[in-house]
Amino acid sequence: MSTPIYSKTNLFIAWQYLSARKKQSFLAMLGVMLGVTTFIVMINFMTGVNDFLDDAVFNGSPDIIIASKTKAESSKQVFGNQLKTIVDVGSIDDLLSKNENVQSFAHQLITPAILVSSTTQLPGSINGVFPDQEQQMVDLERRLIEGNGFQSLLEENSIILGISLANRLKVSVGDELKMILPNGKNAKLKVSGIFSFGITTIDNVRTYFSASTLQKLLDQDQKITHVHVKLKDRDDVSLKHQIVEQIASIATEDWKDSNKTIVIGNKVRDILTWSVSFALLLVAGFGIFNILNITVIQKRKDIAVLKTMGYSSKDIVFIFLVQSLIIGLIGAVLGLLFAYVICYMISTTPLDTSDFIIVETYPINFKPIYFCMGFAFGVLTTILAGYMPSKKASKVDPVTIIRGL
Amino acid sequence: MIIKASHIDKYFDQPERHQVLHGVSLEIAQGELVSIYGESGSGKSTLLYILSTLDTDFGGKLWIKDQNIKDVSAGDLTNFRNQHIGFVYQFHYLLPEFDVLQNIMLPAMKMGVKTKEQIKEDALLLLQEVGMQDFAKRPSYQLSGGQQQRVAIARALINNPDLIVADEPTGNLDQKNTEMVFDLLKKITEEKGKTVIMATHNSKIYQNSHRAIEMIDGSVRL
Repeated sequence: MSTPIYSKTNLFIAWQYLSARKKQSFLAMLGVMLGVTTFIVMINFMTGVNDFLDDAVFNGSPDIIIASKTKAESSKQVFGNQLKTIVDVGSIDDLLSKNENVQSFAHQLITPAILVSSTTQLPGSINGVFPDQEQQMVDLERRLIEGNGFQSLLEENSIILGISLANRLKVSVGDELKMILPNGKNAKLKVSGIFSFGITTIDNVRTYFSASTLQKLLDQDQKITHVHVKLKDRDDVSLKHQIVEQIASIATEDWKDSNKTIVIGNKVRDILTWSVSFALLLVAGFGIFNILNITVIQKRKDIAVLKTMGYSSKDIVFIFLVQSLIIGLIGAVLGLLFAYVICYMISTTPLDTSDFIIVETYPINFKPIYFCMGFAFGVLTTILAGYMPSKKASKVDPVTIIRGL
Repeated sequence: MIIKASHIDKYFDQPERHQVLHGVSLEIAQGELVSIYGESGSGKSTLLYILSTLDTDFGGKLWIKDQNIKDVSAGDLTNFRNQHIGFVYQFHYLLPEFDVLQNIMLPAMKMGVKTKEQIKEDALLLLQEVGMQDFAKRPSYQLSGGQQQRVAIARALINNPDLIVADEPTGNLDQKNTEMVFDLLKKITEEKGKTVIMATHNSKIYQNSHRAIEMIDGSVRL
């Protein structure tokens, strides 16, 4: 008859050993806590930034843009009369409807224009959209600050503006604007909505306008300049090459081309986050390994005595492993709490608005999965770190220890 | 017979292979106080470890309580020791992280038959028997050598084993404590019917044992 290895007795012994080394145990626990905290905070913060950028960029711009091939000489004619319209829209539509990776696509007629308010005049980019199509592409409702979304464009001469542009024009919803198109035509507009993607390059110039109205104003009946495509799997851009191969005089650009800096930035942040977090957990693990290892060396005689008393090798492994597990669990739980506090503090810290991003506080995630991961990695590290010394302790041979005085 | 040993041989491989025990045979009856004495290196401790099942790497045969030790697996042997053998060492080896009472309770807590309360009662009774009842809550490292050895004897007795194995139990003690510890060991054979086997250098001790076995160069002198 003897007690199982997970008995209260073994827990009691483990606890006595731990509490006999309060300072060391506390420091080891602190190590785990900091490792877990840093892991969670860094991952939440970095993914928060990545998600924010992804969200802003990818929601504001399509995954693939299809446009007519722009020739070098004609690119100078910004205000020229000619619009680079796509000739073969039908075959593009055909191709896109058949492709399985296409989630949705929309036609646009984009033209530069001058916007004139009662106080000033500014250049802007007029995105002529078809409200029903564009709704599948851009979640504008979430971005609206004032007024209404795409459906308001059904009302003739309504325009939706980016917040920065609206601010500089000093207009708000309901105000009137005049638009001067490249072909010299004027139109009176009414601001029906104001949006913000949080990215200045978009909020500064972009406007949404009814494509069919724009077609009439520009005398480009049924013509469009761009097709925007949203993919199911954004990383698979093989469609891009397919289009170029099959349809002549067409240029395509995918999200990676248009957002190179953001893509690279995300990658660098990812690498940094994971390597730093793991390095910290590793250091915490070494701390525990060290403490237990020293304890095992110092306590070889005690271990030998426990073994002569009837404690088996498995009991000994358990007794020492439990010590690192206790350190790991307490450290990881404190790490969770501490990480939450820090994440909260970051999320409420005001961010000085740069020109590129418009955001009030630092973007940070509070994803439960990252908290779970931090906890799991913390505990796992301590178990791994504790295992070797525990195994070593269990191999102590009472005879050699007692004889070898 | 509580112990029956037949032609026990033992070799050490370090520093080079040599024989330390040469066909040792002996029998020990229940209730005996047996001393094994001899010079350093005569093999008395080695024999003691074999007789107490700590060392199972030997030639020959050994029965303890009619159990052939070679037939018992390592795991079962740990339990066997837990139930049937109590240990006392030259250096008392009380665990410093635990108080006196807890030290005594540890082997019984491992056995797990009695409740913690029962074990505590037993431990307090044993402390009384060894005259250490006032020290129950003391950390073990605060005790003197003689006191620690008395606690170690109480610890050896907690699971009520039939056999107590003592390796130089008085080797580290002064005259007065040596007598006290020896009297205690004698008492547990005579009053409780335990068997005590001890290795010793002390002539006063082996001369006053029920039986003294002399070891010379790995053999028992008859």
